[in-house]
Amino acid sequence: MTSPSASSRKALSKIATNRLQKELMEWQVNPPAGFKHKVTDNLQRWIIEVNGAPGTLYANEVFQLQVDFPEHYPMEAPQVVFIPPAPLHPHIYSNGHICLDILYDSWSPAMTVSSVCISIVSMLSSSTSKQRPADDERYVKNCRNGRSPKETRWWFHDDKV
Amino acid sequence: MGNKLGRRRQLVDEKYTRPQGLYQHKDVDHKKLRKLILDSKLAPCYPGDDDCTCDLEECPICFLYYPSLNRSRCCTKGICTECFLQMKTPNSTRPTQCPFCKTLNYAVEYRGVKTKEEKGQEQIEEQRVIEAKIRMRQQEIQDEEERMLKRQETGFSNRLLESSEAEYFSPAATSSSEGEEIVSVPNPATFRHPPRNREIRDDEFDLDPENIMLMEAIWLSYQEDNKHKHVNPNYGDATQLAKYATEVRLLASMAPQAGYSPSSSSPSGGLACAIASLAERQQAGGESSTNYNTYGGNLSTYNVHPNHSQTGLLSLDSHLQINDDNSEEIGGTRYGYDGNNDVSRGQYGEFDEAEDSGGGNIVPESFEEQMMLAMAVSLAEARARTSSSTPEAAWI
Repeated sequence: MTSPSASSRKALSKIATNRLQKELMEWQVNPPAGFKHKVTDNLQRWIIEVNGAPGTLYANEVFQLQVDFPEHYPMEAPQVVFIPPAPLHPHIYSNGHICLDILYDSWSPAMTVSSVCISIVSMLSSSTSKQRPADDERYVKNCRNGRSPKETRWWFHDDKV
Repeated sequence: MGNKLGRRRQLVDEKYTRPQGLYQHKDVDHKKLRKLILDSKLAPCYPGDDDCTCDLEECPICFLYYPSLNRSRCCTKGICTECFLQMKTPNSTRPTQCPFCKTLNYAVEYRGVKTKEEKGQEQIEEQRVIEAKIRMRQQEIQDEEERMLKRQETGFSNRLLESSEAEYFSPAATSSSEGEEIVSVPNPATFRHPPRNREIRDDEFDLDPENIMLMEAIWLSYQEDNKHKHVNPNYGDATQLAKYATEVRLLASMAPQAGYSPSSSSPSGGLACAIASLAERQQAGGESSTNYNTYGGNLSTYNVHPNHSQTGLLSLDSHLQINDDNSEEIGGTRYGYDGNNDVSRGQYGEFDEAEDSGGGNIVPESFEEQMMLAMAVSLAEARARTSSSTPEAAWI
């Protein structure tokens, strides 16, 4: 198992770099509502500020997403986690891992960082109770050595939230 | 019959019959690929351009620009040949899904360079997305305002409804203590706009009829202007459009305001919406009417035809196997979309090429101006947003 830390990952391919540059440009012109990209010189890791949507359980709360891009992005999904403290949500683990199918099995290269962000805010917005997943403690314990959520075998059982 | 040259055998430079190295392709049958490209079953592997210089199409996967793309059979989305070759996950037993609509057994066909009508249709869809985004933003602004209103003292409502001046609610007031005050007694005025379930767009405008008429007049005169220079409706009009947008905003801000208006926190939110709707109506009805309430979203007025082209069909799962091309002659001149039940997409039928540039059908012509207008307005809005000194307004 390889560590997911930024330094050990392979550099972006040419096509990934090109696409991310364009995504970033598009983001700057037209960012998804409620999200702010924190400017860094690292194209391979984006830190994104998320504002809970007004009128939802997460209104006035601010979270941070960390998006790491693999060498073969967008053919491979980016790794998207909340930097703790993560929102209290039935599908978000306290270590920041997000149980959301489009980040894993259902990823498609036609998706973008922007569309992922919209999915995440929609997932937050439809939540009706602020609580951790039932298996939070067990899962987080299993991930203690810095395992990537992309190595988790996710079960996507609940499409209500 | 337009672009039928080399339909059966495409004149493609030898070097564009193989991948340009966008990806490190594994197990690609180069011989087969070459044949498919020469037979016009797949788009040639032209090197993708970084910028959209002239009449190029952007591949939605690699974001590079090409003279022509392959189309997915299920949803007609474009994809360049090199990205298409990447879609088949090696050693996977599952049938490949369309990356755009997730339909199983992803397959593409190549129809050459897009026709004018195809481009028109696509732009119409793009425009709808832009309009939907504007509506979303409008909704957010309104929701936000409703929350603000709820926090106003009771008794404020009467003044609100009668006041002839524009009310300005500082967005700064929002930040104070949203959580606790949101449960306070709701202001009667807020019930004028139930926060959800707002399907009909007319409700979203909180403008008085005078403003709407003003805007419509401006919009019409803009359309009139452009009839005289239809030859090349290009992006040079952007500045003019921006000017119009500003004009609209100015006029609206001068006009007397009834009740609170969306311009209190965003100077052009409602206007953007109104303009977008005007544009939409123009395009749907062919001409404008002043009856604002008849807008029924009847956009799918194009002919629907059941037959669709059967040009060379490429399936990834049969590994570059081609279905027999049994109707190549009509394949080029006709195209249609599969009956797609997606409401937002609507169903478009065929266009006869002879029909283009004939009178009556203003759809593709006026579209660019319409989109530019919508864009100009949202730009103006963005500018207004960034120039705002209150951080709370920054992400509305």
